[in-house]
Amino acid sequence: MIAIINTLINGLLLGGIYAVTAVGLSLQYGVARILNIGHGEYIMVGAFITWMLHTTTGINPLLCLVVVGPVLFVIGYLVQRFLFKTLKDRSPSPAAFEGSSMLLAFGTLFIIQSLAIFIWGRNVEGYSYMAYSVYLGPLRFSANRLVILIFAILICILFYLFLAHTRIGKAIRASSQDPEAASLMGVKINRMLAICFALGAMMAGFAGMLISLAYPINTTMGMQYTIIAIIVVVLGGLGSILGSLIGGFLLGIFGAIVSNFEPGLTLAAYYLLFMVLLLVKPSGIFGR
Amino acid sequence: MLMLEVKNLNVFYGNVQVLWDVSLDVKEGEIVVLVGANGAGKTTLLNTITGIIQPASGSVTFLGKDITGLPPNEIVEMGISYLPEGGRLFPDMSIQENLEMGSFLKKSWKVRKERQEKVFTFFPRLQERRKQLAKTLSGGERQMLAMGRCLMSGPKLCFFDELSYGLAPKLVKESFQMLQMLRDNGLTIFLIEQNVNQSLEIADRAYVLENGRIVSHGTSEELKQSDHVRKAYLGI
Repeated sequence: MIAIINTLINGLLLGGIYAVTAVGLSLQYGVARILNIGHGEYIMVGAFITWMLHTTTGINPLLCLVVVGPVLFVIGYLVQRFLFKTLKDRSPSPAAFEGSSMLLAFGTLFIIQSLAIFIWGRNVEGYSYMAYSVYLGPLRFSANRLVILIFAILICILFYLFLAHTRIGKAIRASSQDPEAASLMGVKINRMLAICFALGAMMAGFAGMLISLAYPINTTMGMQYTIIAIIVVVLGGLGSILGSLIGGFLLGIFGAIVSNFEPGLTLAAYYLLFMVLLLVKPSGIFGR
Repeated sequence: MLMLEVKNLNVFYGNVQVLWDVSLDVKEGEIVVLVGANGAGKTTLLNTITGIIQPASGSVTFLGKDITGLPPNEIVEMGISYLPEGGRLFPDMSIQENLEMGSFLKKSWKVRKERQEKVFTFFPRLQERRKQLAKTLSGGERQMLAMGRCLMSGPKLCFFDELSYGLAPKLVKESFQMLQMLRDNGLTIFLIEQNVNQSLEIADRAYVLENGRIVSHGTSEELKQSDHVRKAYLGI
């Protein structure tokens, strides 16, 4: 029994990061129609900004949120405005844009990664934060992972409330359901696309900040998180934000169960799940 | 008073000209209908007036101001709202959220509660189901919601594109009655229709668009008497 609960909690601890990671990608795909292969690079940048601020100034890494968020938002906004928007204006059709934007995203992946290697090098970095265990009855977890989970849930809830209840959040959802009708309501659709991409980058930055709390980081870590984010988004249903949130936790639990038997097979199991999903239920659990 | 004036509009899709020298006007408090067959260019005309498509030449004037080529959000802001064909509701949003989207512009957003109450007095059914998702509504309820959402920006002039398209005859009649009710409450209406018979019943004036050209116009009574309209559209 304790083993089961332990696995479940380990899954949630992992799932929190997955959920935050995937929500950004889901938003970018659902509204801006960009399958952002470079998503993981924004996570890496968020992680390195946190690491740099913490190790040079000693500031609490959780507080780096207030720097990482705006910086990544601005980067995302500029990338959309100057690269993807230009590409979109030149694309003959939305379908053509969906294809070519993926290639452009690939390009940004290498540019961001090269710049990061230039600035931060290739070494594995990290710092230690709250690296002790907490006990809950017979259960034991590391304190920093618990903090990650709490912050991940908080970020997801705040993000969900933003989408559900604010003027801009409602406009984002409306734009994802029918962009042309949204523009008839007076929504500036190009601005909304840029905001969505920027918010996606911001969520990636938050995920990076959380990852750096407990895991080692390096400048080539991005791709693995991109792939996990894509799996989660497909699991939850393309374009469904709530699906990505829940999908993140589900994949985390799945990963924890697999790693109970054989930790080395976790990634392989993710890919297997991904392929089965694509064959059996490509619309995902909450897909429209 | 002249509310909308369209003068000598020419519109192209690529090299193909779809509107030829189209001119028309709408006066305050009127219901004006533009009739024409499928493919005559009706929706293109509305899309041009509301800023979705840019004209090659010609002008659109609203309450004395030149609005030719302005983007859709600025046109909404000036007091024009547009109900596109099929209503184009946001399917995964509730009635209330759909209405709120109608008040998206900052000025309207502040008064959205008052506007919503007003819409609910026109369409009490919407109030009962305010939490329900748009995709779960019946055809008639969708129509009410689409009209209600149109009113949420506090427009002076409303465009309705193919209000009757795909609706059962009873609903068509109800929809046109709703239009008259809105007009009686001070709204000016420009309507696009394939259903010539019934739209002429409620409209004050009408224009006939064929192959991108206005071929005839006049009061509804005049058009009902015209040989061309009787033969081509009323099947008499």
